[in-house]
Amino acid sequence: MALNNNTSSIRQRRYVGRIVTYVLLTIAGLFFAIPLLWTISSSLQTWQELRSYVPHFIPETPQWNNYVQVFTLVPFARWMVNSLTIVLINIPGTILTATLTAYAFARFNFVGKNVWFVLLLSTMMIPAIVTFIPQYLLFFNLKFIDTYIPLTLGSWLGGSAFMVFLLRQFIMTIPRELDEAAIVDGANPVRILFSIIMPLMKPALVTVAILQFLADWNDFFGPFIYINTMLKYTAAVGLRTFQTMALEITDPRDHLLMAGAAIMTIPVLALFAVAQRYFVSGVVMSGLKL
Amino acid sequence: MANAISPPKVLTGRRRVSPAQRRQNLYGYLFLTPWLIGFFGLFVGPGLYSFFLSFTKYDVISSPVFIATRNYVDMFTKDDLFWSSLSRTAYYAIVSVPLTVLGSMFLAILLNTQLRGITVFRTLFFMPSLVPIVASIILFKILLNSDFGLVNTALRGLGMQDPPGWFADSRWSIPSLILVRLWGSLGGTQMIIFLAGLQGIPTELYDAASIDGAGSWHRIRHVTIPLLTPTIFFNTVLGVIGALQTFAAAFIATEGGPNFSTWFFALHIWKQAFDYFNMGYAAALAWFFALVIVALTLLQMRLSKRMVFYMGE
Repeated sequence: MALNNNTSSIRQRRYVGRIVTYVLLTIAGLFFAIPLLWTISSSLQTWQELRSYVPHFIPETPQWNNYVQVFTLVPFARWMVNSLTIVLINIPGTILTATLTAYAFARFNFVGKNVWFVLLLSTMMIPAIVTFIPQYLLFFNLKFIDTYIPLTLGSWLGGSAFMVFLLRQFIMTIPRELDEAAIVDGANPVRILFSIIMPLMKPALVTVAILQFLADWNDFFGPFIYINTMLKYTAAVGLRTFQTMALEITDPRDHLLMAGAAIMTIPVLALFAVAQRYFVSGVVMSGLKL
Repeated sequence: MANAISPPKVLTGRRRVSPAQRRQNLYGYLFLTPWLIGFFGLFVGPGLYSFFLSFTKYDVISSPVFIATRNYVDMFTKDDLFWSSLSRTAYYAIVSVPLTVLGSMFLAILLNTQLRGITVFRTLFFMPSLVPIVASIILFKILLNSDFGLVNTALRGLGMQDPPGWFADSRWSIPSLILVRLWGSLGGTQMIIFLAGLQGIPTELYDAASIDGAGSWHRIRHVTIPLLTPTIFFNTVLGVIGALQTFAAAFIATEGGPNFSTWFFALHIWKQAFDYFNMGYAAALAWFFALVIVALTLLQMRLSKRMVFYMGE
């Protein structure tokens, strides 16, 4: 009898706990969802409707033309292509050179390895702004300003420390016996990397490619400092320019800015939809045991 | 891990390197070459050059003039925006980092349940972190518009006579930036890191706690949180480094205004370097800032030795 009472009270408590969890999840969900939904909704309204006294969640007549206007008033398509160009230059760079670096740290016991590894990790700590000024001066003297070289060179020279770290952790999970078997077969380390290790690294490399895409697509400061010509802007700098630039028509342009924000976000969400698991695997892969 | 970075097997006594070790060195450095070029060319070299510049007056057009420590003295004594931008940056970090770390931990604990529909919530929470910063700032500037933004319309509808001016009000501009940051990061990477950490906690520990009569709060307080301390530590360190460097959000939202209320230290450095072309002074500011960040990181690592619990130690 007492036991019965006990289990039913546990069940009751569990039930209450479940409801509380759902309520909290819903509150958090609304906090995240409303701005997202409002982006879509307001991007399809006229500016008058956007400023009406009672907000319309469903636009009276969806203004699809807003999206057309973003592409005609400013070279938004060009800016997107520019961002994509940088991404497409950087992804192979990072995949190749971060892998080489990670391979060195994961598989070879060269002199000074620990020191280099600590130095690699410490670059994560140093704020970008410290090296930014002299890097700018370097690129300025090399006449690289207003080109994509400053925005892409780093990814061909090892990529970011975090990605190297992530790939190193991944390579270390690949059994060394595979390397050793290949050595017996007469393969050299270069061959082992390209024909044994790298094919096994596919999930890690997809993760790195996605991280690189997100970093480049989001980057504001780099292109903002290095690119001067409007036609060479990236989507991030372009959208910011659209926010502030003088245009004879279309003020206020909140509805168009929302359309621009939506356009810029769509590629990221599309990538997330097709490669969802890789977005989170980087975190899990790195193991986070620094 | 310990195995992988074990000391190289060099025969120190006789100064002779075995052929096997020579091979390790050869291939190790061969594969390291691209990174080494980048490390010296884009990091160490520029870092040292900026250290040199920090003792000069340099406007890019004429060559640097050595002025010893004047930049450093000036920043502490003559620059009105130095201390204020530093304290503003600190305010932003002190408020936003604990909120994002604890908030994302809280969301991860909520999501770490076997309830129906949990993946829908997880995906929804994660989505704002995918919105590019420029897009999210533009979105929130419109949402938080003091006259016709959705938020103030709602607040007025709820009977608030005089809702905040958000980005337009110097008292509310930093809280507004924090709000955008929370929206864009509570469900992002940090939450995923916490979820991974939570999934690493053995269920036996919860079972043991339950047998001892611990309710859900006690299980969170005495099992979950202690075992998550390494994750909390990791997220806090990275959060502080990130928050202190905030540039894009403040620049796009308010360009440091209104009335310098979002004039963060990174904006101050940028303005000096790329608007006034006071490269020497900006380099001094940047070096000072780097030292502050490194010191804070090391301090956190120190504190963590006492506060972080690693399983199996």
